[in-house]
Amino acid sequence: MSLTDTPAKYGSAADTEATGPLGRVAIRGDGGLKVRGGATYALEQSVENLLHCVLVQATIGAGRVVSIDKAAAEAAPGVRLVLDAENSLALKPMPDFFGNTPPGDTYVPFARDIRFNGELVAAVVADTLEQARAAAALIEISYEEAPAVPTFADERAGEGRAVDALAKEWGEPDGPHAEAGMRFAATYETPREYNVPIEPHGLIAHWEADDRLTIYEPTQWIDGTARNYAGWFDLPFDNVRVLSPFIGGGFGSKAQGLPHSAAAAIAAKMLGRPVKLAATRPQTFTAYGGRPATRQTLTLSATKDGRLVSLEHDAFSETSVYGTFAETLGVVTKMMYAVPNFRSRQRIVPVNTVLPGPFRAPGKNPSAFALECAMDELAIELGLDPVELRRRNEPDHDFETGKPWSSRRLLQCYDVAGEAFGWAKRNPAPRSMREGRELIGWGMAVGTHPVYAAPGEATVRVLSDGSVEVLSSAIDMGTGTYTILAQTAAEVLGVPVEKVSVKLGDSRLGRAPVAGGSQLANLMTAAVHKTAQAARDELITLGLTDPNSPLRGEANTLLVEGGTIGASRGGAIGIGELLAATGRDHLEVTRDTLPPAERSAEERQRMFSTLAGRGSLPEATVSKHSFCAHFIEVRVDEDFGTVRVARVVTALDAGRLYNPKLAESQFKGGIVMGIGMALLEEGVTDPRNGRILSSNLADYRIATNADVPEITAISVGEPDYDATPLGGKAVGELAIVGVAPAIANAVYHATGKRIRRLPITLESLL
Amino acid sequence: MASLRSMELNINGALHAVTLEPRVTLLDALREHLGLTGTKKGCDQGQCGACTVHVDGERVLACLTLAVQAEGKAVTTIEGLAGKDGAPHPVQQAFLEEDAFQCGYCTPGQIMSAVACIEEGHAGSDDEIREFMAGNLCRCGAYNGIVAAVKKAAQQSEEARA
Repeated sequence: MSLTDTPAKYGSAADTEATGPLGRVAIRGDGGLKVRGGATYALEQSVENLLHCVLVQATIGAGRVVSIDKAAAEAAPGVRLVLDAENSLALKPMPDFFGNTPPGDTYVPFARDIRFNGELVAAVVADTLEQARAAAALIEISYEEAPAVPTFADERAGEGRAVDALAKEWGEPDGPHAEAGMRFAATYETPREYNVPIEPHGLIAHWEADDRLTIYEPTQWIDGTARNYAGWFDLPFDNVRVLSPFIGGGFGSKAQGLPHSAAAAIAAKMLGRPVKLAATRPQTFTAYGGRPATRQTLTLSATKDGRLVSLEHDAFSETSVYGTFAETLGVVTKMMYAVPNFRSRQRIVPVNTVLPGPFRAPGKNPSAFALECAMDELAIELGLDPVELRRRNEPDHDFETGKPWSSRRLLQCYDVAGEAFGWAKRNPAPRSMREGRELIGWGMAVGTHPVYAAPGEATVRVLSDGSVEVLSSAIDMGTGTYTILAQTAAEVLGVPVEKVSVKLGDSRLGRAPVAGGSQLANLMTAAVHKTAQAARDELITLGLTDPNSPLRGEANTLLVEGGTIGASRGGAIGIGELLAATGRDHLEVTRDTLPPAERSAEERQRMFSTLAGRGSLPEATVSKHSFCAHFIEVRVDEDFGTVRVARVVTALDAGRLYNPKLAESQFKGGIVMGIGMALLEEGVTDPRNGRILSSNLADYRIATNADVPEITAISVGEPDYDATPLGGKAVGELAIVGVAPAIANAVYHATGKRIRRLPITLESLL
Repeated sequence: MASLRSMELNINGALHAVTLEPRVTLLDALREHLGLTGTKKGCDQGQCGACTVHVDGERVLACLTLAVQAEGKAVTTIEGLAGKDGAPHPVQQAFLEEDAFQCGYCTPGQIMSAVACIEEGHAGSDDEIREFMAGNLCRCGAYNGIVAAVKKAAQQSEEARA
């Protein structure tokens, strides 16, 4: 059973009643290219005269570079340049996403003072990849090593610093709470986790002129990336062109320029030739930061009949010694249940690591792991069914903000997924269900993701053959942007989806916000919808008022449908005919969804190339979130301690789905990543020097085909026009949230063992 | 090491004369020297399967194969899978219909593995498909779609033979 053939119908989410193309199942618009090997990703663009760049990373965890002997590398065949801090161009420092700006007046992407193992130290540029790689191995670096604190589990790491902006308190968290007959406390931990998109990070940097830079780089944010390079090299924004037609997965890791990005652009500038750089798979583990390790202690108190009285949350996550990144661990804890007395605090602990960064559902994912395990444990203490405990604490509004929900169909998720799973047949006693050698466990947990808002911009062109083009710098990393924007334009302009071509991933096209926070689909369908409506209005105006229009004076309005335009009583002509008669070969309209205001070009550009766009919108009067409930069966081999996920049934409230098939793929993909998080993924560091020991795909294990059962994803969403203009909510990151705790809860049910640290391995069960 | 060597590679039925260092992998020969970028580099160390091609009909990791090793053998890449009329291979069509991918980067390798998996007779059940497709990692998590696509194409191939 799948989302697209599920018999249950809930609003237009699993919709066959959609009147137009939007909301219907449509095959992926870029799919034909992808299955034929014809989708050319950024690093596959054909650029003449390319040189190849290979990175050299530090092999100590802390200290400084004493000397770098480059002579052998420089003398090696084909080598054009060996770059390090000494001979690198100095750039202008630029702030990252999180507001960290490198110190000093200038920025050089090569380190002398080493702050983490794997930090970029040098780079070699040669005629061929093989030559660059061989020469890189000849570089001799001598270090003066200092003690490294590799992880926050190291006692020298200390308690870190409080992040006041994340602290939240209401009611009387310290009590006394006479009515609370039950108190429960436990600590939950997640390891470092890495995004590991199958396409490694890298770029082609090409200076087309001294002051014009073209970058081919897989990025989730064309405009933010362009701003990054423009800032580094002190160029006008428009002098940087960033192209990213396809992205081989990002999951949060490909949204901003990284040190190696600067290195390739510097090399290309110094050599006057285009340079291609791809991080090796092991290098990707320190070229960007994944999710930091986390530790959370939750203290819950509840009445004997299972109503939460208070919740206290103390959270820790790692950051680097040189920057601030906070994995926002309180985000789900704060809003999931009706908690009258609440306190959440978070500290970040600097260690010798690359600065961590966003990884699918940052904050939400580990936050839900702790909360949803704790709720399961509380249910057991109270002798309540875990679904029943959650039902009793379903909030009628958002307790964090005091706002009403735009929509919250979590109770429906429990009903629908619980029934499809057969939850009513569960024997609550641990170790009570088995088949042969296998212990069977049934667990559940919930997930959620906020709905973010930011402005977008789109261009719609109606061509003389009746076809339509949609242009935007938004990107598609498998999320379906190409497809749903075609569906949106087709819906408004009354043309078949096949007549709409979508061009994305080029900073020369209209501005777009980051493809992150599960926001892009909602924001860009809204921008395209508005723009296509404006195009339709212009066509009608042209038809009614242009002196040469054959439709002039025909009616007081015109209908645009099926590639034609005309009066409702008949006599329509082709759109191309109207354009030709009025002396045009196309009609082009650009619109954005910024709140109307006077803005300078620089300010306007900042709205899309920084997070300022989010702040430009009026504050929402409702609390906007997607929700889901996972019901999972695991089978544990009693002798070997191996855990297999046997069944997953998930119901999701993500509002209206613009293309249910593509949304289903995202839901299932999130669940698959959640299986990996629960059972496999762990960044392991060398306690002596902070080296990432699991820096490859055999040691950093992600879920394979053989780890994943058939998954049932059922949408219970209804269009939520208070959440977004076209009624969708967050899709891409929703479904990973809650999978790991559902599995941990199922493992407890199977074995009677409560594992509070991920991943759950056979060692932890034996 | 740096001595160049002339070789002739038979890729998708066409002979390509190339002059390469002997240390050049088949994967880099395809991507960097022949402009055949459909075969993907995900790890360059034999762990992800994105570079899967067929050499004399068997699935092989192009990143662990030197180009010189492919001399005198027939190499098939994703670009050579479609029919002579340009129609997609049934496995390609099934991947499209089942939405068996998202970002698409592992997809050529998945499809090359899937074609071989069916040829090998290892597409008899969902579990067998899962096991024999387990060497091709997909971070987007399209495994359910991949199993459905392989099953569909295997059934079509079975029917065609009957």
